[in-house]
Amino acid sequence: MQELLQQVVSGIATGGIFASLALALVLIYNAMGLVNFAQGEMAMLATFVALALIDHGMNYWIAFPVTLVIAFAGGIAIERVVIRPVERAPILTLVIVTLGLATLINGLAGFIFGYVPRAFPSPFPVQTVNILGALASYQDLGVIAVSAVVLLAIYLLLQHTTVGLTMRAAAHHPEASRLLGVRVSWMLALGWGLASAVGSVSGIMVAPILLLQPNMMQTIIIYAFAAAVLGGIESPIGAVVGGVIVGVTVNLAGVYLPFVGGDLQLAVALAIIVGVLVLKPNGLFGRPSVRRV
Amino acid sequence: MLTRIRNSPPRYWLVVVVILFFIGLPTVISSFQASEWAQVLVLAIAIMGLNILVGYSGQISLGHGAFMAIGAYTFAILIHRYRMNYLVAIPLAGLLTGGIGFLFGVPALRLSALYLALATFALAVVTPSLIKRPAELTGGVQGIILPPVDPPPAAGAAFTALTGTPMTSDQWIYYLTLAFALVLFWLAWNLVRHRAGRAMRAVRDGEVAAAASGVNIAGYKTLAFGISALYAGIAGALFGLAVGFVSPDTFPVSLSIQLLVGAVVGGLASIPGPLIGAIFAYFLPIESNQWVPAQTWIPSQIASTVEKAGPAVTYGVVLILIMIFAPNGVVGLVTAGYARLRRRLRGAADRENGQMPPDPQTV
Amino acid sequence: MALLELEEVRAGYGPTSVLHGVSLSVPEGQIVSLLGANGAGKTTTLRSITGGVQWTGDIRFAGRSLRRMHTEDVVRCGIAHVPEGRGILTELTVDENLKLGSHLRRDGAAVRKDYDRVFEYFPVLRERRRLSASTLSGGEQQMLALARAFLTKPRLMLLDEPSLGLAPLIVRSIFEIIRTINTEDQVAVLLVEQNARLALEMSSEAYVLEVGRVAVRGSSSELTGNDAVRRSYLGY
Repeated sequence: MQELLQQVVSGIATGGIFASLALALVLIYNAMGLVNFAQGEMAMLATFVALALIDHGMNYWIAFPVTLVIAFAGGIAIERVVIRPVERAPILTLVIVTLGLATLINGLAGFIFGYVPRAFPSPFPVQTVNILGALASYQDLGVIAVSAVVLLAIYLLLQHTTVGLTMRAAAHHPEASRLLGVRVSWMLALGWGLASAVGSVSGIMVAPILLLQPNMMQTIIIYAFAAAVLGGIESPIGAVVGGVIVGVTVNLAGVYLPFVGGDLQLAVALAIIVGVLVLKPNGLFGRPSVRRV
Repeated sequence: MLTRIRNSPPRYWLVVVVILFFIGLPTVISSFQASEWAQVLVLAIAIMGLNILVGYSGQISLGHGAFMAIGAYTFAILIHRYRMNYLVAIPLAGLLTGGIGFLFGVPALRLSALYLALATFALAVVTPSLIKRPAELTGGVQGIILPPVDPPPAAGAAFTALTGTPMTSDQWIYYLTLAFALVLFWLAWNLVRHRAGRAMRAVRDGEVAAAASGVNIAGYKTLAFGISALYAGIAGALFGLAVGFVSPDTFPVSLSIQLLVGAVVGGLASIPGPLIGAIFAYFLPIESNQWVPAQTWIPSQIASTVEKAGPAVTYGVVLILIMIFAPNGVVGLVTAGYARLRRRLRGAADRENGQMPPDPQTV
Repeated sequence: MALLELEEVRAGYGPTSVLHGVSLSVPEGQIVSLLGANGAGKTTTLRSITGGVQWTGDIRFAGRSLRRMHTEDVVRCGIAHVPEGRGILTELTVDENLKLGSHLRRDGAAVRKDYDRVFEYFPVLRERRRLSASTLSGGEQQMLALARAFLTKPRLMLLDEPSLGLAPLIVRSIFEIIRTINTEDQVAVLLVEQNARLALEMSSEAYVLEVGRVAVRGSSSELTGNDAVRRSYLGY
């Protein structure tokens, strides 16, 4: 029982990491009906930036927000340069472009930083703390806290600020929003910036666990897909709930199902994706939508 | 005269020239180069499969490397475990992969293009770890090493008579791959010209309209998935044959991306597209890796980084640029250029005959 | 000089042209109505003004040409466009829709006063503030659209068929509020209406469009009195 509880806490921590990346996917999906296949690679690159800052002697808690700002600017730049020319293209074109972007960023990171895995500092102590009889590591609790703060900040931004309001408006009704003076195209760029920043949180949180290298996010993005799909790909709350469910499920499956073990955890994510898409395509929180053919 | 040229585009003689080129190629290049070109043809077959799916039925797969893996492993297991003749094992591997693709196509029906992209991408990422699991069957991380194949005496004798040198295993595999490629391209060409192809295109261009005109949408979409997987499966088997072994790392996500690059560069919904795309997707990373360090004017530091970044950066840039500037690929560019030339020629001819060309504005 | 001036405006969708040289003007603080049969180009005229379609000729607002301006910039000059179908953002709440109206304004105190006025005109909107805009009836959505347009503090409102699909009683009250806004705040209105009698009652001046051209122009009373115009263009 105690071990189960420990695994659940640890699963929630991983889930928080998935949730940040899933939320980034949801932000871009809401802005332009697109799943950004480059989201994980963008987060990976941002994590390298964070490491570079820390290596240059910057304090972790300063490097963290600075990285988010850089990631934000980078996301906007990517949208302006790469996505804007194909903004109105068919979805297939957009998907291929983001896939190209993923490949490009992965290669870029490879030659700038190399493929040797690097240790990434964690600001949290390695000790454990006893909560209700279960031992939880400060590392896990720290990740949960950081993820919670970031997700809450995004929620407040979207629901309770004017910028958030105009972003939501532009996403749902671009034409009507333009007539109210909303700069829709700019809102898309902001959406990319915001997604890039949120996504990079997942990279920074996961790097101490996985070690930082260009392919670090290749599996995390699959878990994030699973989380976003499970939550209903247009729902920010769904992304968070989905992230936690996927994190806990995968963690428990890895520990308690001998067949799954460590190396088939990713297959669990695949099963979740396929299962949800086939059985309940709108996920837990998504609205049923009229199918556009 | 001009009319005749216009009405019969230089297609058939071009096909003959291309086929003769590929038949003659091994006689002028080394055995190693022949094995490279065999892999190009393997890619072309797989890309043709992807092209049938994406270009002609409007579905998408970002995980076609996974189908290649299924084909390759089926082939390897049939040979290694059941000692089957490789000439029988190749089509069998294709059929089995096709069957799996067909089954995969059933749930895929329910997914929108975006979700399908997502699910197939996830499949591509998971495939290597799925392969490792039944280690007894698949050889786990090590994979399966395949016995080398010798050219049959008749083919060897013919080759020796032609070139004066004995035929190597690589050259034989090249010809075998070429034979499969020819048959599969011919089948694809027939497919898209006839009923099934028209129906698939109708489905791609508008499901509602296609359904209204009595096309069995679900049937054709799953069929397209099955055929597409069959192509990938045969390509996978030939790939195993050409490389001499299969292992989980032979089929990374980047293979699926390489296939996508090939399909997109060549041009979707075209028959020559996959061949052009395959040549591009195979040689681009190799050539750029050899060309860049050889240039003395490029600072060595940049050259070495470009070399390291290798295919990923180039593929990424190419995918993005093609999608932005030439979404119909090379074939699309050529066709558009050809059409423009034709219009210009026709305009000139009409002026000669004293006719006014129709004003494009009013049409 | 009029507030809004259109000069020989031609516009269309792709190869089909809809407007073949429309000239009209809306003086400061006046209501001008734009009448005509279906497909005459009324909606296209409004869409040209806010950059929703490509056009040639010239459109000037407060002396400034709107050529090559994006929709959002035109709107920011002080033009509120209530489009066909009202442009309600149904995913958002009533309150959020209203906030989108006032989101560009920096005069906080005046905005609060305008909200009070909006809720005075349309008490139902205050009751439904927190509800999703999709729960509103057609009439309430039209009120919301009008309220939102008013909150942008425009100098000119472009109203596309505000009476469409509404019960006569609601139409009456909505038009009264349009008139109130017009007289109290000196907001000019370019009113597109199928209901010609109502439109002529409201406006000081009117244009009748026929297949993309201005067929008749005159003061509203003139047009009301003109039998020929009434029979051929207004259909009553």
